[in-house]
Amino acid sequence: MDKMNIPIGPQHPLLKEPLRLNIEISGERVLGGILRLGYVHRGIEKLAQTRNYNQNVSLTERVCGICSHVHTTTFCRAVEALLGLELPERVHYIRALMCEMERIHSHLLWLGILAKHIGLEMVFMHTWHDRESILDVMEEMSGGRVAHAVNQIGGVRFDLDEDHGPMVDSTVKKLKVDYEELLDVIEHDTTLKARTQGVAPLSTDDMKRYCVVGPVARASGVDVDMRRDDPMPPYDKLDFQVITHPDGDAWSRTYVRLQEIRQSLHLCKQIIDDIPEGPISVRAPRKVPAGEVVMRSEAPRGELFYYLRSDGSDYPARLKIRTPTLPALGILPEQLSEIHIADIPVVLAGIDLCIACADR
Amino acid sequence: MAESLFYLLIFPGITFQLVCGWFFEWFDRKLQARFQRRVGPRWFQPLADLLKLFSKEDLLPSGANEFAAAALPLISLGAVLTAGVYVPIAGFSPASFEGDLIVIIFLLSVPTLAYYLAGIISAGIYSVLGGGRSLLQFFSYEVPLLIALSGPAVMAGTWSIREISSIQAEMGPFVLFQPIGFILAVVGLIGKLKRSPLDIPKAKSEVVAGSLTEFGGVKLAIWNTVMNIQAVVGIFLLVNLYSSWSGIVAPVLAVPVFFLESVLMIFVLSAASAVFARLRIDQLAGLGWKVLVPLALLQLLVVILMGV
Repeated sequence: MDKMNIPIGPQHPLLKEPLRLNIEISGERVLGGILRLGYVHRGIEKLAQTRNYNQNVSLTERVCGICSHVHTTTFCRAVEALLGLELPERVHYIRALMCEMERIHSHLLWLGILAKHIGLEMVFMHTWHDRESILDVMEEMSGGRVAHAVNQIGGVRFDLDEDHGPMVDSTVKKLKVDYEELLDVIEHDTTLKARTQGVAPLSTDDMKRYCVVGPVARASGVDVDMRRDDPMPPYDKLDFQVITHPDGDAWSRTYVRLQEIRQSLHLCKQIIDDIPEGPISVRAPRKVPAGEVVMRSEAPRGELFYYLRSDGSDYPARLKIRTPTLPALGILPEQLSEIHIADIPVVLAGIDLCIACADR
Repeated sequence: MAESLFYLLIFPGITFQLVCGWFFEWFDRKLQARFQRRVGPRWFQPLADLLKLFSKEDLLPSGANEFAAAALPLISLGAVLTAGVYVPIAGFSPASFEGDLIVIIFLLSVPTLAYYLAGIISAGIYSVLGGGRSLLQFFSYEVPLLIALSGPAVMAGTWSIREISSIQAEMGPFVLFQPIGFILAVVGLIGKLKRSPLDIPKAKSEVVAGSLTEFGGVKLAIWNTVMNIQAVVGIFLLVNLYSSWSGIVAPVLAVPVFFLESVLMIFVLSAASAVFARLRIDQLAGLGWKVLVPLALLQLLVVILMGV
């Protein structure tokens, strides 16, 4: 059969964010794909050098629309490390609580998208319904569904009041019930397994070669999680497991993310139970001393890396953001060969691309 | 003459089929919405969508065959409407003749072939892919569907749908004797209608809208109508062949029971599309030839042995 090229993107029903894939096919077989990025490049790293540190908190919040909180957390921790600030315990707990809720809603969103791509519209609607309850809690606490504006340099902007604890508690309880249903579907649905199991599996060595991080790497058996390996407080005091799976196919990625939702629910409960009393911010000095710092956090999609250099002026001399999607894009060409056209959505969804993050 | 016109234009012809088609689309969408915790559309939404499409500009890419693009949906519409006239409604069938089952099966295949051609002539990559897929799918579901549908005919000893339907008054509904055949026929119908989970030729995340990607306006409106009426005719056909109660229950109840069963069939189709993920085309071919065909042959064998 003749070779054909099909364009996917920049606009395509498959994509939620613009990227372009030029895919070479022969019949129903995919021979290879060429990736083109940069449709949502906003020059955020350069922009950061023209704004002062406080303004940059708002800027880094806009890197991503899904994991916005973990970006500001990492940035604030980087600046606080340069300033040498000691933060009250309560700040760490509030930040971690938001991080975990963000992880839950990000994973639920991802699961819905995967389900929609393989024609399980019902699972899509149900996961997004569950996700709404998390977003409601986040909105109730911070005032924002997408951009939460929780962090400031030296602390957080809001405190938990007496209603928030029970609210998180009841939502966690409710989600645990919904979660068991979802897990049942993922583990036992024959058609879902038929579509996801054995699709473009990648080995542990491949993952290490491409420096892939996060759930995608963990689903190939790479045991890496910044919450455990380079913990920000209070994760060193909390109890959770790092989920890995040996297979490396789309189904094991689904499995890993679902199990992570359970761990995150467990973490939310612990945080709400253990949160200490105290102030929620300390006064940060205006001048940031010269120096450089690297800060890493575990975003929903994996290790988030911030490099910050200060020359002692009001503006950062350099802010480098490496998002977890960037290395994951590297494995795309390898995965997009010797599969069916019908597997393209599964491969793309399995990686959980966040193009806004990757383009910055 | 006036009677024939009434049959063709009002009942069971065009008007009745269109109304049933709209009801099918609305009820299906409403059910899907309820499965997904949504509210769903109001009853006039299919009609509003149709009118909206009629008012839209009709564009085709350069290189597309304009004449074929206009003719194919009309041919399909003609085929499914003709098929609709021959399907008995609660035992009422003004145009029945020996062998109309075969004619209907043929007429219901016309839209699939037209769909394939529509993909080829409309000069788009996704259309070509969708067209090719629809033909592959056709070869996977059509054979088990045909074997399954011949089960009731063999059992009743006739190829007239009205005869098959009325003989069930004496023998009992055929679904009791041929449950496997009935399930295969439903699977075949889902494949014919290109409904989820067998919506492979128009899978949105893979080939955008398949053959109909480049269609719009009036042509797309006609295509949608064809799909709805095809569904209605298919459902009526299965109800007649497998579960005809018109001779068993009291004559007053025959019509309500018939439509109730049809609504139940819509429910089955909607539930199937809600709970199953879309198959890959190679998985469907495997399913069709390795599972459905042997099962259909087995069912036919059982039917023949029962008759001996």
